[in-house]
Amino acid sequence: MRLKTSLLKEPKHILPMELVSCVGWITADELYSCSEDHQILKWNLLTSETSLIVKLTEDIYPIDLHWFPKTVGGKKQTQADIFVLTSTDGKFHLVSKIGRIEKSVEAHKGAVLAGRWNYDGTALITAGEDGQIKIWSKSGMLRSTLASQGSPVYSVAWGPDSDRILYTSGRQLVIKPLQPSGKVIQWKGHDGIVLKVDWNSVNDLLLSGGEDCKYKVWDSFGRLLYSSSIHDYPVTSLSWAPDGEVFAVGSFNTLRLCDKTGWSYALEKPNTGSMFTLAWSADGTQLAGACGNGHVIFAHVVEQHWEWKNFVITLTKRRTMQVRNVLNDAVDVLEFRDRVIKASLAYGHLVVATSLQCYVYKNWNTPLIFELKEGTVSLILQAEKHFLLVDGAGLTTFSYEGRMISSPKFPGMRADILNAQSVSLSNDTIAIQDKSDEKVILLFDALTGKALGDGKPLTHKLEVVEIALDHFGPATERKIALIDKNRDLYLTSVRHLGKELTFQEMYMVHSMAWNDAANILCGIQDNQFTVWYYPSAVFTDKELLPKTMYIKDGSEFSRSPHILSYVGTKVTLRQGDGSLVFSSVPPYPALLHEYSASARWEDALHLCRFAKDQSLWACLAGMAMANRELTTAEVAYAAIGELPRVQYINFIKEQPSKESSLAHMLMFSGHSQEAEATLLQAGLIYQAIQINIDLFNWERALELAVKHKTHVDTVLAYKEKFLQKFGRKETNKRFLQYAEGVEVDWEKIQAKIEMELSKERERAANASVRSMSYSYVSLSAEV
Amino acid sequence: MAKDPLAEGGFYFDELNKLRVLEPDVSQKTSELKEECKDFVDKIGQFQKIVGSLIELVDELAKEAETEKMKAIGARNLLKSVAKQREAQQQQLQALITEKKMQLERYRIEYEALSKVESEQNEFIDQFILQK
Repeated sequence: MRLKTSLLKEPKHILPMELVSCVGWITADELYSCSEDHQILKWNLLTSETSLIVKLTEDIYPIDLHWFPKTVGGKKQTQADIFVLTSTDGKFHLVSKIGRIEKSVEAHKGAVLAGRWNYDGTALITAGEDGQIKIWSKSGMLRSTLASQGSPVYSVAWGPDSDRILYTSGRQLVIKPLQPSGKVIQWKGHDGIVLKVDWNSVNDLLLSGGEDCKYKVWDSFGRLLYSSSIHDYPVTSLSWAPDGEVFAVGSFNTLRLCDKTGWSYALEKPNTGSMFTLAWSADGTQLAGACGNGHVIFAHVVEQHWEWKNFVITLTKRRTMQVRNVLNDAVDVLEFRDRVIKASLAYGHLVVATSLQCYVYKNWNTPLIFELKEGTVSLILQAEKHFLLVDGAGLTTFSYEGRMISSPKFPGMRADILNAQSVSLSNDTIAIQDKSDEKVILLFDALTGKALGDGKPLTHKLEVVEIALDHFGPATERKIALIDKNRDLYLTSVRHLGKELTFQEMYMVHSMAWNDAANILCGIQDNQFTVWYYPSAVFTDKELLPKTMYIKDGSEFSRSPHILSYVGTKVTLRQGDGSLVFSSVPPYPALLHEYSASARWEDALHLCRFAKDQSLWACLAGMAMANRELTTAEVAYAAIGELPRVQYINFIKEQPSKESSLAHMLMFSGHSQEAEATLLQAGLIYQAIQINIDLFNWERALELAVKHKTHVDTVLAYKEKFLQKFGRKETNKRFLQYAEGVEVDWEKIQAKIEMELSKERERAANASVRSMSYSYVSLSAEV
Repeated sequence: MAKDPLAEGGFYFDELNKLRVLEPDVSQKTSELKEECKDFVDKIGQFQKIVGSLIELVDELAKEAETEKMKAIGARNLLKSVAKQREAQQQQLQALITEKKMQLERYRIEYEALSKVESEQNEFIDQFILQK
């Protein structure tokens, strides 16, 4: 990825050596710039024309310009386009699109160094040379003075929810909530005066640049994520791209494009002088910079790459893509009518969003084209059967035939701040992290756009930072993996929210991804690269999970790798320094998943015998148990030396009735309550009691026995035996109380148990006869 | 010599017998003086002309010298600034080189990772064939 810059030969502002102080985009193709020659110019990039909007009076030397936000939560602002212009005389001006000064407000002593609207346009913040920060209403009425300090505030930025601000204080950076009771975070950011800050609303990361010639990336707690090497000149400007994936840094004769993790994609050395302001257009494709020598520099991002299997796609020009098939070096060129804003390549489909249209390619000749309502697509997510577009107005799923499928909506939705970590799409489900309460994950049916189940969202106990749905298997078994603030990975079933099915899997997981073809999860855990071949094992046999893991030493990856994709057997990771690294995962687990999905257990066994891999056997054991395929499970458990489990499976096999074996299978997975409920439902009181006895859950056993007025003596007898074994005395009052009234006679109890079992057998036999006769009836009916 | 009564009265005759109030000697001397003065003025005029042209010439020279001097200063400054420009250019190129080097390093790592994957896959294929 790099920047393609364009600079006119002669500066357009009339006094050539006067600096251009500020720029701001009004649409994706129109830019306003102000300079010390008092002119406001409009640049139209489509017609490459420059026109003078207005010449300000001689006493206004502009410093900063910010357009009033255009869309808020999907709704267009009704207010006419205005922008705030701050000047050296301590005033800020609200200026309309045609250049008329609507209002001038005396704001600070000395120059007003920065003026910024918040994201919904309800408030304006100004920072001045006098060290004060003031908040103003939309119409320019003073609301409050938020902070005042001894040194000038050079730059200020709003937090993602517009409830906090970030500003500079000499060498320090300060995060201050608008609520007076909120906690202020202040820390030393640079070794020189901090000149510029920015805060992205999508990824919640901070940027700062200062006179120590460095730029730094911070998280919103003030922890340093990246610090650049020392540049030749102070960093005078920086700006996040709206989607938060990249940012631009400006310095003397320098323009840099950097990844959100801090490393630099590209460096340009245009002849511009110092760059005082950088501004991205709303769609994140174009960048403009105000230059110290009177120029306005324009740049757009090209040479982005997308890779999937054997295809590599490069954005060669603004409207041109090159598709290369690396297998036969065939090259196709795709042309678009408008600028490419976003693209995504997966599942054999390329989805490209331009400023007006969406193109879907299956082969490279005939794209399917449909119009987009809202221009700026900020995110494209793909699943096997459909894809999701996120734009300012909301989320919409489309089929690959271009038909709109659904458009999930929820109150308080702010689609503009969603990113790939906070939205996940699978064939049947959409998961969205609620940004207003980060513990909550909203789940929608992808086909109808309605909330899943009873509409109750999934609520985690901590703030969630990343979510991912698995892609494979039936919708009822859809699972979601999430990483919370403590970097613990959890796995939960999406369609059984009522049941307690959340499992903590692993600690210190930095990044994760599901495989595109099978439900295999990979993650970066602490210092190692881990693949969970069969994460669903937690639902059947929790202890199996460590055995199904494939661990690779992470030392081959340098610091903080991030998983980009997991396609087939190839995992693509990006290291902290920006280099791509790859890791291959054995192909067997995917095959095993396939066999288990199609219930080809013989083949599965064959594969495991062939591969001779313990983790594979463990996977098979888990899969077989989940599918109640006891014979296969037995073999698999035997292969990994889990003899107690083999025994238990045998025991399950010997169960006289279906209900009992089902209950014991539930017991096997550790769901004792469900097991008990199953038995009670089937009227197998004794078996339910026995389960509790086996679990030494005496209280519950006695309770059941008393409730159903049967087998009280059995419970007492077992308890007594148990106590005798450990040489203890009965202390539980209830047991003492019942022991008085009941006589324990082992022979009688044995007989009773025998009777219960034979009764069950009889019933089972009847049931099978009945079911046989049913099938006979249905067969004859079909005939 | 008998006294000329006229002379006593201060009247004289010149050669052309015109009556004069000035002594002939004096008159002669006066005219001589006049001649001489005229000569002198002429000479002075000539001198001035010569000097003027000289001054002009010198001025011109001075001007030329001045422009040459300025040119020299300019050239010297230009030389200095070229050196500086070169330095700046060098710095810029250096920065670009560093950037490219970093990119190269990233590609190297990527290449290494890919070769590793390749060798792993070859190994796997070999194993697979052997076992079959």
